[in-house]
Amino acid sequence: MKYLIIGVSAAGVAAIENIRRLDKKSEIVAVTEEEYPHVYSRCLLSYYLAGEIPEEKIKYRDDNFFKDNNVKIIFGKKVEKVIPQRNIVLLSNSETISYDKLLIATGARSKMEMIPGKDIFGVFGLRDIKDAKNIMSVLPKCKEAVILGGGLIGLRAAYALSKRGIKVTVVVKSPYILSQIVAEEDAEIVQQHIMKNGINILTNLAAKEIIKVAENLLVILENNEKLSCQLVIVGKGVQPNIELVKETPVKINYGIVVNEYLQTTVDNIYAAGDVAEFYDITTKEYTINALWPNAVIQGSIAAINMVKGNTKKYEGTLANNSVEFFGLPLISCGITKPKTKEFEILVKKDLRKNYYKKIVIKDNTIVGLVLIGKIENAGVYRELIRKQVDISLVKQYLLDENFDFSKIIPVIKQQKEKFTEKEYKEIILS
Amino acid sequence: MKKAIFVDVKKCIACKSCEIACAVEHSQTKNLFTAVYEDPLPIPRRKVEYTDGIIISDACHHCEEALCVSACMSQAMYKDKDGTTQHDETKCVGCWMCIMVCPFGAIKRKEKVVVKCDFCKGKETPACVESCHTKALKVVNL
Repeated sequence: MKYLIIGVSAAGVAAIENIRRLDKKSEIVAVTEEEYPHVYSRCLLSYYLAGEIPEEKIKYRDDNFFKDNNVKIIFGKKVEKVIPQRNIVLLSNSETISYDKLLIATGARSKMEMIPGKDIFGVFGLRDIKDAKNIMSVLPKCKEAVILGGGLIGLRAAYALSKRGIKVTVVVKSPYILSQIVAEEDAEIVQQHIMKNGINILTNLAAKEIIKVAENLLVILENNEKLSCQLVIVGKGVQPNIELVKETPVKINYGIVVNEYLQTTVDNIYAAGDVAEFYDITTKEYTINALWPNAVIQGSIAAINMVKGNTKKYEGTLANNSVEFFGLPLISCGITKPKTKEFEILVKKDLRKNYYKKIVIKDNTIVGLVLIGKIENAGVYRELIRKQVDISLVKQYLLDENFDFSKIIPVIKQQKEKFTEKEYKEIILS
Repeated sequence: MKKAIFVDVKKCIACKSCEIACAVEHSQTKNLFTAVYEDPLPIPRRKVEYTDGIIISDACHHCEEALCVSACMSQAMYKDKDGTTQHDETKCVGCWMCIMVCPFGAIKRKEKVVVKCDFCKGKETPACVESCHTKALKVVNL
């Protein structure tokens, strides 16, 4: 058996570890487009950029990772095309690699602005180590920066630069920040907090052009206002890297469509991570929730199914984010801004204490959560969402400031069939 | 094999000895009478929780398929050879992903990093179990 893994970030690494755990002998080949010869964590790039961690710490596996797992690793080569009919992939240098089982974990790339000036040096995304190093290279001369996009990537970048003493302006097309993950009333609290800490946020605005004027960049906004800076970071979300399977029997929708075994429409090809599109537990629709924890779990499950046949099912993805700006944490999960009336929304807030809790309920199950300020026990709610548990018995406790695991015990007793993990048996209830 | 701390809800009387023992064990001085003067105060990783007549002393369950480990983007959270889930504070960046996914709410913030039960690494019996007057807490090998 020969396994081929394309991409060695969260999903690829989890897959390698699980394949090797179950199959000590077979050949594993991994190929990545990136030249940086280490396994590293994309999510740590903004911490690196902020100067909070050294480069060494973005590596989240030992330098010997590939050797220890007996993996043949190819850095710096892009897989241009998968040819399922011949069980081979074609690399950028026209070489081919064969496989018996293939995992596509190619992830996603930054969506760049399609505006004039986007290719000027000084305008970067923040997706990989190359981006981070490019940004670092201009920092010594950077006093002002403009961030295009008020989502997680944009704001993490803004926060990082601000920590370095750079004057940051964030330009957000939506009426409020974080509009992909929370509702306006939720975002408001975080937005105020970020602005109080010195980052300027302009909403309902987009850039229409970036020009270079002497040593500076000039970002021209739709309202013709001009922002002078030395660095522009584009944080406009990501798009899946699906091109390698275009015009093949591997089905693509927005991403590569997979079944509950993380298997694509071609039997010996699996996909996991930011490129894979699957059922979302709360919206019940096919989507990509391009998030680290999802990618790791998908990579692990895909690996198990590649080695042992389709034996382990994936329950579905969840939109799930955790972020902190200037000491104010936010965790969100599931549907946070329902559009129809069938949802019930419970809210408790004390804005002087930066305390905010919102729970979205549909048909007696929790489908959404936003916690700001006090985030402990977020996972207890998440478990109720993930397992789609009927919460009628404990609804009165959900907004309680002291909500904790004990509050859901009545539900665990009532719906034992949903709490089958060994760990729940370590609690002798009655 | 998996080491676990069994919690017998019927026996727990909420005396909180386990919380105190845990905090002392994870203090700098390891002595109750000096630990109370430490700054910052040591944080108990076990907590006595109540609801509707049910009392439970709960902490990390060292899950076999630990969601906190798969959610950790800096490899701070990891499975140790003995099956316990351990946390390396020096690698933690405080992203709170583990708090986001822990089904038991067993992970706490300590300034910029998280803390959780470490099964009293290096100690034969965890401090909470030793301190439990009613034997509600028990170490078991599953």
